[in-house]
Amino acid sequence: MNKYEAVIILNPNLSSKVDEFKKDFEKLLSDNSFKIIKTEDVGRRQLAYSITNHNKGHYILFNLEGDPSKLLEIETKIKYNESIIRHLFLVVKEHVAEDSSLLIESRNKKPEISSENDVSKKEVKIEAPKKELKEDKSDDAKEGTE
Amino acid sequence: MSKYDLPKKFDHKDTDILKQFITETGKIIPARVTGISASNQRKVTKSIKIARFLALLPYTDMHK
Repeated sequence: MNKYEAVIILNPNLSSKVDEFKKDFEKLLSDNSFKIIKTEDVGRRQLAYSITNHNKGHYILFNLEGDPSKLLEIETKIKYNESIIRHLFLVVKEHVAEDSSLLIESRNKKPEISSENDVSKKEVKIEAPKKELKEDKSDDAKEGTE
Repeated sequence: MSKYDLPKKFDHKDTDILKQFITETGKIIPARVTGISASNQRKVTKSIKIARFLALLPYTDMHK
């Protein structure tokens, strides 16, 4: 058993289907007897350089635990998934329980929502679709001005 | 004291800390300039390279 930290960058055009993707991915992981310890949905973020003509990416972070031999199977599946524009699995000695700086940064960008995020996980899930709508609007506005 | 904010554990997701160690053009600043310990410099370098792969930091300023 190894401890892994996974970063997955999704196609930003599929941002609305993130929950669907998450379910599929969690199923893929559990099929390969991987344990999910923590998930962080960072959301859309500006990429430092364009990857396959995308300037933005939807970042999702996972803390995982599983067997190295099964990881190969997962990676081959990910390779042929076109909604994933980049992925990375890193072996870590110990998982970090605190929120990553990426997540904190994305929260600070939307100060209205950040206060609500602190409540419970269940409530955050309900608010998730609203958040995405807001994001989309702000993104459109930005692109318009550019 | 060091002129840099050095965390206890380096993380490729901590772009604010890593940005101290790259130039405007995106190059990693050499240890002879940063003056941090060799051990820390290795950790910084490794984290920057991972962050670049994940498009959190640029490889260069020539990206389109």
